[in-house]
Amino acid sequence: MKELDVRIETPEQRPRSNPLARVFDELVRFCRSRSMFMLHYCTGCGAIELPPAMTSRFDMERLGIQPMVTPRQADILLITGYVSIKTLKRVILTYEQMSAPKYVIGICSCTVNGGMYWQSYATAKRLDQYLPVDLYIAGCMPRPEAVITGMRELMAKIRDGRADSWQDYYRRYDWYLGNQQHLFGDDWQTPTDVIGEAEHYRLTGPETLGEHTALLQQHQKPLEPLKLQL
Amino acid sequence: MAATEITRWLDNLLTEIEGVRIERRNDKRLRVDVAAEALPALLELLRGRASYVHLSAISCVDWIDDGEFELVYHLWSYESQSLISAHIRIPRDPGVYLSVFDLYQPAAFFERDIHEMYGIFFEGSPDMEKFILTEWDGPPPMRKEFDSEAWVNDTFDWQEYRPDWLREIEARGGGIEIPPEEQR
Repeated sequence: MKELDVRIETPEQRPRSNPLARVFDELVRFCRSRSMFMLHYCTGCGAIELPPAMTSRFDMERLGIQPMVTPRQADILLITGYVSIKTLKRVILTYEQMSAPKYVIGICSCTVNGGMYWQSYATAKRLDQYLPVDLYIAGCMPRPEAVITGMRELMAKIRDGRADSWQDYYRRYDWYLGNQQHLFGDDWQTPTDVIGEAEHYRLTGPETLGEHTALLQQHQKPLEPLKLQL
Repeated sequence: MAATEITRWLDNLLTEIEGVRIERRNDKRLRVDVAAEALPALLELLRGRASYVHLSAISCVDWIDDGEFELVYHLWSYESQSLISAHIRIPRDPGVYLSVFDLYQPAAFFERDIHEMYGIFFEGSPDMEKFILTEWDGPPPMRKEFDSEAWVNDTFDWQEYRPDWLREIEARGGGIEIPPEEQR
C-alpha cells in the first residue's frame, strides 16, 4: 500500500519540516469537506427524507455531497434509522470496508437511544457503542433542512480537524469490539484486520488491544479468498 | 355451484360434524373452532372439497393464563371469495403440533416463523431452522413470559438525554423544543 494514500496528521511520528505543512493540511481539510461522498445505508424510515435532501428542492450537491454506491469509495456512512442487531453486523462490515478518513452520521432518534423501538429486543440502542459516530441528527424523522444543517456541521468539523472519530475506532478498538461481541457472541469476526490497519495508520493506542481483542485472536479464523465460480 | 350455495352447503356440513363450533360473521367470514387432532381432516375437507386452496397465514396467540397456544389457520377460497379461520388450541407445554405442509406448502414458512417466535415445534415441517432472527439465541421472543423490556435493560446501555453537547447547542439557540420529561 502506498504511504501517500494514508497521509494524515501524525505529529509525534513524523516531524513536519515543511514550513507550509499546516497550510497544506488546511487546504486538504477544506477540499475534503467540500467533496463528500455518502453511502446511505437506509436501515430505517429516515431514508425517506434523503431523496428530497439530495434532489433539486434542497439540493445537497451544491455543498459537494453526493451519494456513492460502494463503501470503498464513500466518505460518509449515513445510518438512517433503527439498526436491528442483524443489520448492525452488516453496518459494521460496511464501515470497516470504507477507507479512511470516514465519518458516521446517525440520523433519527433510533440511532441515539433506540427511539420508538427502545424496548424492542431486536434493535441496537446506541449506535456509538458499536461505531464511532461523528454526528447525530436527532428527530423522528429529521427534515431535509435538519439533515443539511447536520451536514454543514460535519463540514465545519472536518475543516477544523475535529472530525476524527474514525481514529477513535482504532485507538479504542477493544471497547468497540467488546460491545460488538456482547451482541453477536464471542466468535464475532469481521473480514477486516482492524488491528493491522491501526498499526499501519500508526493509530494504535493503549486501548487498541485488550481482553476482547485477545478473545478475537483466539477465535479468529484465517481469511481465505473466495473461490471463483462460473 | 354459486358462491352462496357453497357457503350454505359448508355451513350445513360443518354444523353436522361433532366437535366443530362455527360462527359466521357474514358471507365472507367464517370462524371454525375445532379440536387440535381434527384440524388436518378439516383442512383436507376444506381444501379438497370446498375450494379453500389458499392458506394465507397461520397465526399464533399465546394464552399464558390458560396454558395454551391458539393456532389460527386462515384459508381463502377464490371460488366463493370467502375466508375461513380455523382455530385450534394446543397445550403450551410441550408445544408440539403437526405440520400441514403436505396439504399447504406455504405452511412451511409460517410454521418456521411460529417456531422461531413462539417455540412451537411442528412435526413434519420441512425446515425448523432459524428464519429471520438469525442472530438470536435467547428464548422465543413472542412468548408472553419473555419480558422484552427487562431483556433490553439487561443488554443495552442508554445515553443521557441531556448530554453536554446538547447544552452547547442550546447555548447557541438550538436544541430540543420540548424536553423529554415534559413530553411524558
